[in-house]
Amino acid sequence: MRADFAQEVASRAGISLGACFHCLSCAAGCPALEIMDYKPNQIIRMIQRGMREQVLESRTIWICIGCFNCLDQCPNRVDIPGLMDALRQIAIEEGVKVKEPSVLAFHKGFLREIRKRGRVFELGFTVRYKLSTGNLFQDSLSGLRMMLKGRLRLFPEKVKGASDIEKVLGGIA
Amino acid sequence: MIAQLRSSTVGLRKINFYPGCSLVSSAREMAESFFEVLSHLQLEIRTLADWSCCGSTPAHSIDSRASLLLPARNLLLAEDQGVDELFTLCPSCYVRLWDSRRKALEKEELNQSVKEAWGAPLSGKTKPVFFLGPLISLADENKAVFKEGALKGLKVALYYGCLLSRQIWITGLDGHSPRSDLERLLLALGAEPLRWGMEEQCCGAGLGVIKPGHSEMLVARIHDYARRSGANCLVVFCPLCHMNLELRAPRTNPVPVLYVTELLALAARIPKANDWLSKHLVETKGVLKALEAS
Repeated sequence: MRADFAQEVASRAGISLGACFHCLSCAAGCPALEIMDYKPNQIIRMIQRGMREQVLESRTIWICIGCFNCLDQCPNRVDIPGLMDALRQIAIEEGVKVKEPSVLAFHKGFLREIRKRGRVFELGFTVRYKLSTGNLFQDSLSGLRMMLKGRLRLFPEKVKGASDIEKVLGGIA
Repeated sequence: MIAQLRSSTVGLRKINFYPGCSLVSSAREMAESFFEVLSHLQLEIRTLADWSCCGSTPAHSIDSRASLLLPARNLLLAEDQGVDELFTLCPSCYVRLWDSRRKALEKEELNQSVKEAWGAPLSGKTKPVFFLGPLISLADENKAVFKEGALKGLKVALYYGCLLSRQIWITGLDGHSPRSDLERLLLALGAEPLRWGMEEQCCGAGLGVIKPGHSEMLVARIHDYARRSGANCLVVFCPLCHMNLELRAPRTNPVPVLYVTELLALAARIPKANDWLSKHLVETKGVLKALEAS
């Protein structure tokens, strides 16, 4: 059971978990560490220990920004951002409780935009996202300032091949 | 690429361009200033017809298939449109295009899914190119386009951010090589590039919208270091960095945030530069004043 999870994750992310020797270079340079519940190397250790539920229900996997600082600093080139991508996708497939639902809502909303018109219409997307998280007024002032200064496109554009894109991405929730 | 551009002799040389979603909306000033500077350098822009979103962070975060296929669609369009080099301004778009291309060309089964989705596999003919290296080389070769001492009075905190700071095998993006040339160019134009300590620190990227509080903390530190090093402007190379550094700027004494392309437009005395600067959320009058004063 324990080995299963480690193997599944490692093969999906294309990495070797054993390569991590917990030097903490990843954690030391991580810009989002303060709002994670486990350090990146702790996630690796937990996977090796078979702590499936704790890993998949952690905050860390959703908070990772994908800035690649950890991979840049890792002496053994362990692809932690790729690992986080794999863990998020397993978490979605298994329908576990998502610790940071707003992050998932953001990603889904963004992909929905692409499915609909092939491009992301920043203004509409942001308003819809803020509405969906119940934070409509968060950032609304700065958003308004951007609009007034002509910094946001007010109407969406649609790609000619949008229907192909919808067909291809159709499976995305 | 530069050699190729130089060798064509007749008419305007063309650059093929993949804008990406920010560049036609919140970062339009970055695209416009890029176009204007290029036209001063006798280059013409051709935008990829019917381009679509690269999928950005959300695609690779929750759907590997989409993160392969969305950039691949654009690469296929580019191959069809006879493009060898596809320029991007957005580092994230660049990395997504590079990553998808690499995966499809390395793994037969992935290129097969590209074919199933879009009707053809990637041939690899089109390569994505990040704008910075070529732009700086071109600017360097055509210094006459810029006014001597045009940037005198500017103390510049160059903010490279995440993707321009990584090793090239991670992102395919060489954000390191152009730096010394850029600094030399700025010095030649009268500006003073500073050593200020936050050149490569993250701005919070996509987390800016989701966790604004955290991003504000990161951004405040960047502004603080820039201000204390005496900078009168921060210079960015990424639409998202610009967005976060402006939108999440501290209320007291934020440092104006310019795109590198706007800085070059100022150096070329392109009149529109003032219009672009007036659209910034962090007041940019200080930049113009510093330029006028010297």
